[in-house]
Amino acid sequence: MPVTFTFGEWFSARTIIGQTLADLGDEYPNLWTVTPDIGMTLVEFREKFPDRFIDVGLAEQAAVGVAAGLAYEGNIPVVSGMLPFLSMRTVEQIRSDVCYPNLPVKIIGTHGGLVGNGGSTHYAVEDLSLMCSLTNMTVTSIGDPLMVGEILRQSMKMTGPIYIRLGVGKSDQAIYEPGTHDITIGKGIVAREGSDVTLFAHGTTVAQALEAADALEKDGHSVRVVDMFTLKPIDADLIEKCAKETGGRFVVVEDHLAYGGLASRIADVVVDRGIHLTAFERLGIPQVFAGFGSDEELRDKHGYGLSATVAATQRVIAAKG
Amino acid sequence: MGPTNTANAEQRHSVAELEELAFELRSKLLYLCGTYEGAVHIGGDLSVADILIALYHYGMAVDPTNIVNPKRDRFILSKGHAAVCMYIAMAMRGFFEFDDIVNTYGQLDSAFGMHPCKVQLPGVEASTGSLGHGLPIGVGMAKSARQRNESHRVFVLMGDGETGEGSVWEGAMAARSSELGNVVAIIDRNRQLMTSHAEERVALEPYPDKWAAFGWNVVMVDGHDMSSLVNALDNLPPASSDRPTVLICETIKGKGVDFMERNLAWHAGSLGQEDLAKAMASLESTRASKGAN
Repeated sequence: MPVTFTFGEWFSARTIIGQTLADLGDEYPNLWTVTPDIGMTLVEFREKFPDRFIDVGLAEQAAVGVAAGLAYEGNIPVVSGMLPFLSMRTVEQIRSDVCYPNLPVKIIGTHGGLVGNGGSTHYAVEDLSLMCSLTNMTVTSIGDPLMVGEILRQSMKMTGPIYIRLGVGKSDQAIYEPGTHDITIGKGIVAREGSDVTLFAHGTTVAQALEAADALEKDGHSVRVVDMFTLKPIDADLIEKCAKETGGRFVVVEDHLAYGGLASRIADVVVDRGIHLTAFERLGIPQVFAGFGSDEELRDKHGYGLSATVAATQRVIAAKG
Repeated sequence: MGPTNTANAEQRHSVAELEELAFELRSKLLYLCGTYEGAVHIGGDLSVADILIALYHYGMAVDPTNIVNPKRDRFILSKGHAAVCMYIAMAMRGFFEFDDIVNTYGQLDSAFGMHPCKVQLPGVEASTGSLGHGLPIGVGMAKSARQRNESHRVFVLMGDGETGEGSVWEGAMAARSSELGNVVAIIDRNRQLMTSHAEERVALEPYPDKWAAFGWNVVMVDGHDMSSLVNALDNLPPASSDRPTVLICETIKGKGVDFMERNLAWHAGSLGQEDLAKAMASLESTRASKGAN
């Protein structure tokens, strides 16, 4: 069933993934799905292509190893699961079995960040740092539920591995009206134009950044929002451009450890290219075990929720040049 | 009945010929161990020498003239530290030049490294080295073969110590769950880990029962007796059967060189000229005494 779209509507990214994979399965007779006991709406794919679906049970290392074996034989495997486990239990399989031979394995999953109220065993907060450190790996974090389909589609042409991170993925607001933005792996998206400051975000914090920009506009501030959904390779040219066009004022907000994620990737570009910044603030998860609570409560508690984002952006705008 | 795949049709060695090939493999290994400056995993190389000869020169359908022949059997050296033994066995089968191995092994930009890399050395089926990774990869390859109605097998060689890795058993479970009779695991049961003998610190027994409990077809083999290896390979269940098979090959780490056998000091090492001569003499005398039997 093709996805019908209304801007601002709420979608389940998981449903989009399920539909997209079921469609792609027709187009790519070598597309497989592999899962460690997480359905994530693979039902349609499983029913359509039962001979190309593998559920290994609770065995994440085997899921990634099996995917590598499939890819060695010329197949395109998509491993889907919960990222706290799929990124950490298997990080060595991903490094040695997938990245080392540079195989086209896609790893896609939910629970990136402090989402789902499962406690610290069930939050993937170090995953982007781990994945960005792996040679040959492309790393993405997706906020717009509809965009997931496009990213999966683009990833079919890739010769190497990709990591695709989602939040809970059950219900998210569509951000981009299809056709209005260039969505290309490796390119940041200017989700909103602005000239006083650039607010960088990825995944679930993109919607929050846009909300913060709306709030600040009422005070007369022009806030640019960049959805840096590809963390690796990072769009360094866009970072440099934003520094020039928004007075060297950067705020980064992300649902990941504040050190090791997007803010660190941007800081690396700033240092390596000798970009002059006026002010830089990073908002993200501190080095604590975060505890329980709703997604919103946890973001507020740990200092990277909406009000903290607005406040940090105000500080950066006000910083003396 | 033996393997019938055409890719292997010309390779129907007798047991005596295979024994000669295994002697040649060990001689070449020792020679390399004596010329290469760094350490070679000689103990675990010598324990799988007969197995690798039986596979590459008898049991497996391989095609050195077309390394991507879809009908070929797949081989994964999950105990990647025995790479050099595999390289030499493959060289003897026509994949590589032995001189290239000896002249470049472990050197900068060589394709022949301590652990095999498929990208650097095409002909190798999977990049390995970290233990416990080969069986899940083999399961993926075997699933792919099933889906495409291909009749080849996937062989995965592991050390017994290696099977302490939990991922081996994840793979064992997956192979059984998917009813992959085209998967053949081969265990180098040399009863040594790097720093201890089996059962001293790590309880592997009851070892065959562990595989049987995972639903595998378990076959006990003398891993240094070519007849036993040939017999096991001849009598594998059809690849289309629904149970994966494990060949538990009883072996001796350092087999063939008296001062290395069952000696923890020879997990890895290098041979000086004097030791090389001693090792070769020991290997020769093993062959002589076997010939006399």
